[in-house]
Amino acid sequence: MLASIKSLALLALAATAAQAAVVTYDWNITYVNANPDGLHERRVIGVNGQFPIPTINVTLGDTLVINVINQIDQPTSLHSHGLFQTGNAQFDGPSMVTQCPIPPGANFTYTIPIEQHGTYWIHGHNRGQYVDGLRGPLIIHNTNETYKYDEEYTFALADWYHTEHEIMLEQYLSIFNPSGAEPVPESGLINQRTDTKFNFVPGKTYRLRIINMSALAMFHFYIDGHDMEIIEVDGIDVERKPVTSFYVTAAQRYSVLVKARADASQNFLVHADMDPAMFDVVPPELQLKVQGTIVYSESAPLAPNGVTDEYEPFNDALLVPVVPEATQKPDQIFPLTAAFSVLNDYSNKATFNDITYVMPKVPTLYTALTTGNLSSNPEVYGKYAHPMVVKHNEWVEIIINNDDPGNHPFHLHGHVFQIVGRSTGKYDPASGPYPGYIDSPNPSRRDTVLVPSEENVAIRFKANNPGVWLFHCHIEWHLQAGLATTLIEAPEVMPSVLKIDPTHIEHCKALGIPYRGNAAGNEGLNLDGANIGPDPLPGTFTAKGIVALVFTIISALLGLATVIWYAREDDAHISAQVAQAKNTEEEH
Amino acid sequence: MGSLFSLPVFFIILRETTEAAIIVSVLLAFVKQVIVDDAALLRRLKWHIWIGVLIGLVISLIIGGTFIGLWKSLAKNVFQSSEEIWEGTFALIACIMITVMSLAMLKSQELQEKWRGKLGEAMQNANEKRSVRNLSAKYALLILPMITVLREGLEAMIFVGGVSISCRFLSFNLVQADEWFFFALIGFVIYRGGSRLALHRFFIASTCLLLLIAAGLFAKAINAYEMDKWGKIVGGDADDAGSYDPRGNVWALNYGDPNQPENGGWAFFNSILGWMHVASVGTITGYCVYWLVVILTIVFMKIKGNRARAAASQHTYANEKAVEKTEI
Repeated sequence: MLASIKSLALLALAATAAQAAVVTYDWNITYVNANPDGLHERRVIGVNGQFPIPTINVTLGDTLVINVINQIDQPTSLHSHGLFQTGNAQFDGPSMVTQCPIPPGANFTYTIPIEQHGTYWIHGHNRGQYVDGLRGPLIIHNTNETYKYDEEYTFALADWYHTEHEIMLEQYLSIFNPSGAEPVPESGLINQRTDTKFNFVPGKTYRLRIINMSALAMFHFYIDGHDMEIIEVDGIDVERKPVTSFYVTAAQRYSVLVKARADASQNFLVHADMDPAMFDVVPPELQLKVQGTIVYSESAPLAPNGVTDEYEPFNDALLVPVVPEATQKPDQIFPLTAAFSVLNDYSNKATFNDITYVMPKVPTLYTALTTGNLSSNPEVYGKYAHPMVVKHNEWVEIIINNDDPGNHPFHLHGHVFQIVGRSTGKYDPASGPYPGYIDSPNPSRRDTVLVPSEENVAIRFKANNPGVWLFHCHIEWHLQAGLATTLIEAPEVMPSVLKIDPTHIEHCKALGIPYRGNAAGNEGLNLDGANIGPDPLPGTFTAKGIVALVFTIISALLGLATVIWYAREDDAHISAQVAQAKNTEEEH
Repeated sequence: MGSLFSLPVFFIILRETTEAAIIVSVLLAFVKQVIVDDAALLRRLKWHIWIGVLIGLVISLIIGGTFIGLWKSLAKNVFQSSEEIWEGTFALIACIMITVMSLAMLKSQELQEKWRGKLGEAMQNANEKRSVRNLSAKYALLILPMITVLREGLEAMIFVGGVSISCRFLSFNLVQADEWFFFALIGFVIYRGGSRLALHRFFIASTCLLLLIAAGLFAKAINAYEMDKWGKIVGGDADDAGSYDPRGNVWALNYGDPNQPENGGWAFFNSILGWMHVASVGTITGYCVYWLVVILTIVFMKIKGNRARAAASQHTYANEKAVEKTEI
């Protein structure tokens, strides 16, 4: 696949040699004050003093260059969500996975060859900075689009909070939140506003690119008075699928084709309804139903509001990719069970197979590149990075059990994956082969998949992209709570494919972060000093408990002994009397 | 039985009725022993005793029943707010009541001695005077059992009321009148059938059991207060999540939750011993402190009892000496 993608890219490059360009963005990451929902002004993270941040537009075959200068007081990093970064893992962005974060005041240049097309987004990937506003659309145009349309619009949907994310994160992860209730947003936005307008000209065909950039919210998308056909999902062109509405979880993207109406007599509402099931509580002042307007004519009246609470069931596994890719029997299967519980640090954390993700001391990619032959040994990455090591060009299957009452969207960096199975309940590998396989010659493909509560999904991909790729729930709170694993893909090939720019190492040094060795920064397999995560509570008697139990037993026994001691005299007394009475009787 | 079985309530009622039965049978025995040659008087005095018992029973049922009814309706209103803090308070009240009663009953032997003494004196006087001109003496044998049964019955009602409120069984029905009779019968049979020694040992054993239950209630009360506080911090769904305050926690087990319906055995331990699958420094310390207080109280009771007995025996000795002197 690596070869075929590369050759495809080369072909595209050759075909568009004249147009292939280096597209450069100079981004100063800065704090800005903004009030996108009109309810509350607050400090947000913007670019070049602006919020919302600029939209990135590139074409297949271009090279995208983003010159980042970090001008906030926190380390930061950027992840281009959905981009494969083939042979380019060091620019993928997740902090402590593929890079040390960019220190305050430092420069970092992301150089990304564009080898795919579709609707993507770019966002901060250190802590929850993207929730504070560091997020925006990344649109990659095809040189020759599969579908024809006249114009396109972007609908970047997002939930919005009035409080900075670090404050909410502290409350979310505290011992006083044992049920793990996520912070509830204060509003929903389209393109970081509440009053978006889109102009439609009668008779024209429009491509609408829908991106969900939320921390938590899931949106249901539908348009009054217009039919939609899905033509793209997470950057994969699919055969036209007419829908009346569909859901978009955090980080997912869709493109739909909408034909404008024949006349300009009315304007229509576009609906993006936040699903209340994602929220612990729905405060009365929270407007779940977010709206935009399709404007045919400024003076035209608005068509009746078709807002609804009933949505057509939507199954993304039924979408058929235009470029077919057959699945293959997997060489490795990783069953992962996602769950939440209070661990032995008394905070509610997320676990995959009872392991909660904790960042290692050395970025995992650097560990893979500096540990020689040991890089294929999962131990070297530390238990709490939850490494899954796969060999080059193996077919890998991950079966995700969602053992939690909530719905979770799971995202894999560096790949799209095939959706090869869905089932309810919890799949236990000991019970036999996976029962939910979908038999399809061309399974649906995407990079972020929803696994509903108490259900499971099987995904498959070919390990053709040497690098370290994070696999995680894209609800930002859950990522911070540890719902992540790290895919270590083809470590044996990495050193010949990946080169780390010396400036990246300089940034590690500036932050005092080790950049060589295993997860603890040591040589070999000595993991002393590695970052250790909390573990599940023992649920049995500890030493403390046994001591306490012994004390209670002793107190009770002493108390009862005292009662018996008290009663002994009376006891003796009565015995004597009874004996005497007996004697008296006998005498008579 | 028509109501949910509660071990503490069972034992309280058994104790009270047995105690009452003892008193009545003691009186009957004395009367038989003393009135030897006047059959009519004997019959009348026996009637007095039985009527006294009956009147006492009826009055105690009326008063006690009203009391429990009021108590229950009060508790029901309070329970609507479903606050742990009320659970805890009622558990505490039940604990105190059971403890006081159990410790008081330890002195029952002394009390019996006292009654025997009193009754003996009353009998002597009645015998010597032969004529029953003295009203109080005439009806002594009616009043005494009536007061005794009344007192016992009311005590039982109050304790039952207090203890049953601490149970989460709001559908607890007043123990039926026929159940009272049943218990009285048991008490009587135990008294007649068993020896005095066995009966005494039965009382001691049930005191031990009741104190264990009370100790458990004390720990449970503390637990209820702690859960109330934690619930307020965490915001209400603490109980659902099965969560507890981690600061000060001493053990938290995956098993042994007495609130789970399938854990019958653990629920039994919970009602007898106050077993909980989650314990804190507060509940453990409370449990040990309870026993400490009980131990100190019993020791104090012993010392006081010894002093009283010493004084009494001196007094008796002095009396005997005086009698000897007069006889001489």
